[in-house]
Amino acid sequence: MASVQDLKRRVRSVRNTRKITKAMELVASARLRRAQARIEAMRPYADRMQELMVGVARAASTNRPGGLPLLERREVRRVAIVPLTGDRGLAGPFNAQILRHTFGLERQLSGEGADVRWLVAGKKGRSTLSFRRYEVDQAWTGFSDQPAYSDAQAIAHRLAELYAAKELDRVIVVYNHFVSALVQRVVEQELLPIPERVLEAGFEGAAPPEHVGDFIYEPEPDQILDRLLPVYLETELYRALLESAASEQGARMTAMRNASKNAADLIDALTLAMNRARQAEITQEILEVVAGADALSA
Amino acid sequence: MASEGRRTFDVSLVTPEGAVFEGEAELLIVPGADGEIGILARHAPLVATLRAGATRVHVRRGEDVREYATGPGFFKVEQDRALALVDDAAEAAQIDPERARNQLETARSELERVERGESDADRWQLEQRIRHAENQLQIVGGAESADQRPLTSAG
Repeated sequence: MASVQDLKRRVRSVRNTRKITKAMELVASARLRRAQARIEAMRPYADRMQELMVGVARAASTNRPGGLPLLERREVRRVAIVPLTGDRGLAGPFNAQILRHTFGLERQLSGEGADVRWLVAGKKGRSTLSFRRYEVDQAWTGFSDQPAYSDAQAIAHRLAELYAAKELDRVIVVYNHFVSALVQRVVEQELLPIPERVLEAGFEGAAPPEHVGDFIYEPEPDQILDRLLPVYLETELYRALLESAASEQGARMTAMRNASKNAADLIDALTLAMNRARQAEITQEILEVVAGADALSA
Repeated sequence: MASEGRRTFDVSLVTPEGAVFEGEAELLIVPGADGEIGILARHAPLVATLRAGATRVHVRRGEDVREYATGPGFFKVEQDRALALVDDAAEAAQIDPERARNQLETARSELERVERGESDADRWQLEQRIRHAENQLQIVGGAESADQRPLTSAG
């Protein structure tokens, strides 16, 4: 049985661990709030951008349909999977569930005869992929807690470039969609080719059709659309990066809360054991004293 | 000029990081792809692309003017509502030269990579970003004199 000293030492150690997990929990919750605020802040931009795109697309398609590289659909030979992971661990199932899903997707796509390419955001994803001896075409790291719009632009540029050069025929992003601090849902998003429904007015918030004909376009709608599509890509990636950042912080917060709770339970158990051990020692000493006294008086 | 002639319209300048300006203004000048576009109230509906440059919101013409260094983006006017969607905007008074210099370097190094045989569309955007960073630095450089800039008075 462990001595009182040993137990005391262990309690102290667990207590220190709890301090760390508590601090991480607080930091994660502050960052989570910030990430959520940024998701809110980008919404007006994204909504209006989409609205604008729908209007321009309608004006453009009256002249000449299709022809833009990012909309072009072709036979799928090379598929890029782009998992958005974190740069750091200690975030519960955050990174693991993305990668698990990604490998499932890879098996499915390879089964369909496609050549799978990897482009990955986040250090955790990169290291897991290279550990498993996958060839990673490109990795973007260093911004998973606070992605900037320019980070999304960098990724979007690269993907659009590869797609336009016909190096890739399909691009799928896999990321954690933020539901709550407790729940993050892994989603797959078809990024390229840009789904046609994006350009259709079916969704709410689209520009009212009666205005469409009246606009002056400068330059031509087709040219504006050609420039809007890459920006749409950036916006979608930025949204995914922010969702992923919020999910990472949420997952970390929950994981650290559980860790703190476990530490507290452990401290309780150890303290109890320590008190028992101390009591046992005292009882032992009393028994010895009483036994000694009995021996003398006998 | 009779001051009753001054009509205002809604102006929104929006970036992915949030709205930078939202409110009424008498005159708005944006850097259109083919030259500056000045918008007054009751302008005809318009959709245009913007290059990196200076966007000026005249809340009161010639008196209360907000100047922003804006990145490339899009512009739309409909029924007394003007909307500028740009990828980045910094108010002239609050430009961080350090940030602008970093942006400039990143964009330049990326452009060098693109230079080794890639598509033109992307290059255009990079050039815009470089111009935007330079634009910011230029506005910062002239920040001391900004107060004395001879704004055309309405009189």
